[in-house]
Amino acid sequence: MKILSGKIMNYKTLKIDNLDLFFNEIKKSGKNLLVPKKKGKTTYFSSFININDVEFNYIQTTISPKSALFPKVEELISFKKDDGTYVVTEPSIEKETIVFGLRPCDAVGLEYLSNFFLNEKSDFTVRLRKENTTLITLACKNFDENCFCTSVGLSPASIKGSDICLTDIGNGLFYAEIITDKGEKLIAEHSALFSNAEKINKESYVAQVPLKFDSDNLIKNIKNYYNSEKWTINSLPCLGCGACAFVCPTCTCFNIEDEANPVCGTRLRCWDSCAFGIFTLHASGHNPRPIQSNRWRHRVLHKFGYSVTNMDTLSCVGCGRCIRVCPAGMNIIEQILDLQEA
Amino acid sequence: MQELNNKIAELLTNNLVSIFISYKKGLNGKIKPAFFTKPNEVYENYFGDEAQQNLAVYVHKPEVKKYSKVGILANIFALKALLQLYAENQIKDNYLTIVTVNQDNKVIVFADFNEIESYIAQHQIEKNTNKQKEINELLSLSREKRWEFWVEQLSSCIKCYACRAICPMCYCSKCTVELNQPQWISVPAHSLGNFEWHIMRMMHLACRCINCQECSRVCPMNIPLHLLTTKINSDMEEEFGQIAGMKTTLDFALNTFKVDDYENFIR
Repeated sequence: MKILSGKIMNYKTLKIDNLDLFFNEIKKSGKNLLVPKKKGKTTYFSSFININDVEFNYIQTTISPKSALFPKVEELISFKKDDGTYVVTEPSIEKETIVFGLRPCDAVGLEYLSNFFLNEKSDFTVRLRKENTTLITLACKNFDENCFCTSVGLSPASIKGSDICLTDIGNGLFYAEIITDKGEKLIAEHSALFSNAEKINKESYVAQVPLKFDSDNLIKNIKNYYNSEKWTINSLPCLGCGACAFVCPTCTCFNIEDEANPVCGTRLRCWDSCAFGIFTLHASGHNPRPIQSNRWRHRVLHKFGYSVTNMDTLSCVGCGRCIRVCPAGMNIIEQILDLQEA
Repeated sequence: MQELNNKIAELLTNNLVSIFISYKKGLNGKIKPAFFTKPNEVYENYFGDEAQQNLAVYVHKPEVKKYSKVGILANIFALKALLQLYAENQIKDNYLTIVTVNQDNKVIVFADFNEIESYIAQHQIEKNTNKQKEINELLSLSREKRWEFWVEQLSSCIKCYACRAICPMCYCSKCTVELNQPQWISVPAHSLGNFEWHIMRMMHLACRCINCQECSRVCPMNIPLHLLTTKINSDMEEEFGQIAGMKTTLDFALNTFKVDDYENFIR
């Protein structure tokens, strides 16, 4: 896989001390600003209130920023009986959202996610959210043993999918690469905080994530792995919860739930996971993926096989969240290495 | 550790077990469950403080049940869970070989569940005073403040069901949330759905939870579920004198009926 890159429109610098001002200006303009916050061992994105509860010390957030485009529960349509007639309401998403502090791998993940939803039949709510969302990525200075972006063709310096990418270049400065029109527009609204800058070589300021596996080799051989015996023994720890899918920036599966009575009701789209036993259960009672090893295999092959066939891209960005969050220590890197060893 | 490894290898070699569930170190250094089927794999075995997961959960797993005889390394919480499962008729006789390592690093292979019962009686886990303090602090708040606390905590739930998956006592092959013809409780991860889910789960765990607090450990959203389980456990002990995971036979506080039970609260 080639290193993914985008075209940079402009370069600026921002004083880290001015971040507080920047955030407050965004808040005052009425936009929704999502920033990383910490609650015990969990880091997640939530609306900015003040600079003191913004978390900066994280390798990667526990929960991905995908809910900015694809929330855990969202209303697709609602109805209400009013004076004997039914009134149907479609959701409106007008509020502009800025996501601050996602990682370069997340920006690529969200690009995959929106391409998935906007591919053939453009999804109404995801399209509106995508149009109204600006992503300010924070390049990684550190990594841990679960990070593997470089193994899937990315790097802590990737700008693909970001609108603005910030890199801490020392001396209390962020180096800002402005990549899209949306990014340009946001900077223009807060131009007093940004100074012009020359292009610099970012490499020395970002983490150097070691290669964990060869994804070209994996893609080439993936068809041979379907019948591998390794799936069964490697999936024995898997307990079939949905934690991996729900923290994943590229997992797009959902379930539709209707909550209604004769007077009012809503149709809701909720996150779903291929690790759940009933995910593939047919109305007849037949289940094409009856055991956990089938479900684990599906997850891994989707990330590295089916999405390459269907969308010409891997659907794993190497953020390592599924590994960190798994209650039973399942590790997608171990599984891949084990398959490649055979 | 060598004594334990020898014991596991011996059980596998002599075909006394066809699979042994223990722990090993993963590629990232994290301790994870291990499933040994051959004696030459046992060198990977790990047992120490980092081995936290309650392995008793795996005795329900269909893929594990396929093995005719299963060996399991059980810490004190797994022992309590296995005893409770035995009391609930969830473990066949002569199916499990249960091994533990006591505080003197001695390997013990239990002959039956009566031995486990007396082992647990001798190895009481001290009550965690920090947890009790957390609960007391919460109880000292007004009803409205407590409601606010749980609304904030539970609205963050993403319904990944990791709490259910990791729980040795959650073994229903079809959970209430999966009964959808008709739908019994609201399943979307909004506040109502989350409240219904966690209250329902806690009710089902009343007097069955052995307090291993795995649900809290694995929650991606860091919801303090242990506050609910610990409180329910202490209420159950106070009101009904029952503690889960202590005996080979038991009465369930919430589904045992007696002819002289009070009825005057039914209206």
